[in-house]
Amino acid sequence: MKDLIRIKSMLSTETEKHLNQQIKKEAYASAIYLSMAGWCDRNGFQGAADHFYKQSDEERDHQLKLFKFLSDMGGTAISPEVTNVKQEFGSFREVFEEALEHEIAVTQSFKNIMAHLHKEGDYVTAEYLNWFLKEQREEEYVARRILELFDVIGEEGTGRWDIDRHIHKIEYNEA
Amino acid sequence: MALIRTQFTSRKLEEVFSTSAGAVYQADSERCLYVDFAGKRTRLNFLCFLRLKTAVEKVDIEQMLLDAEAPDLEIISICACEHCFVLDATEILAFRELLQGAFVMFKLNHIIKDCLYRLPVS
Ligand SMILES: [Fe+2]
Ligand SMILES: [Fe+2]
Repeated sequence: MKDLIRIKSMLSTETEKHLNQQIKKEAYASAIYLSMAGWCDRNGFQGAADHFYKQSDEERDHQLKLFKFLSDMGGTAISPEVTNVKQEFGSFREVFEEALEHEIAVTQSFKNIMAHLHKEGDYVTAEYLNWFLKEQREEEYVARRILELFDVIGEEGTGRWDIDRHIHKIEYNEA
Repeated sequence: MALIRTQFTSRKLEEVFSTSAGAVYQADSERCLYVDFAGKRTRLNFLCFLRLKTAVEKVDIEQMLLDAEAPDLEIISICACEHCFVLDATEILAFRELLQGAFVMFKLNHIIKDCLYRLPVS
């Protein structure tokens, strides 16, 4: 009897499910960063707005990368529904706290997928996802460093204005 | 039913999985599957078969049974496949069992193929 399931796709049903969930998470990330960009824009934080517009684009790229991989390997990639996107934030600092929290959740999600792939012995997909692990290193670094500016510079006086102007200077240089 | 069955005797059908409610056969020569269920035989390619399983799993049986407003029958159709099934709750449960069983057998077949043919050094 032909092995139809394997002939159709390189990915197991479980892996496909994990990847579709991650596609949805990346889509949500893109949407929440866009909403953060909007909030920063209308509250006068132009540097932060630019940062989040860029982040939103990057998350969309992540979504497409996973979508294409899943499709290329013979799976069924699902264009996700994105709902419950928060539009308002309590403060400038809160936006960045949530951004970091979100990146931590995404890192955790990839670790989880990796654990599954190793258990299954799907090193091919694991190798592909290495790019995302590296990306998460950078994403968390940048989010954490920006948040630290709130303590380093301080929010008093023109502090928030300073923080806003500093954001674009933060970049991750791998050791 | 018996008559329909004889139409297919020229093709080699291998039983994938069967229950008292129905059966799933695989035809390697046509790279497709035959599903005997609800008094008919349906021919599907693998992708449609996968979609059928997803559609059957998606039905909210609890709501079907408890909600008086909800219809007693569910129409299961998969786009791009001309077939459709009109099933009640018991039939859906039986169909689910059949389709899920078939997928377990597909997986088993995959593992066996790996162990017997793909991994050994000939
Ligand atoms: Fe991402
Ligand atoms: Fe990210």
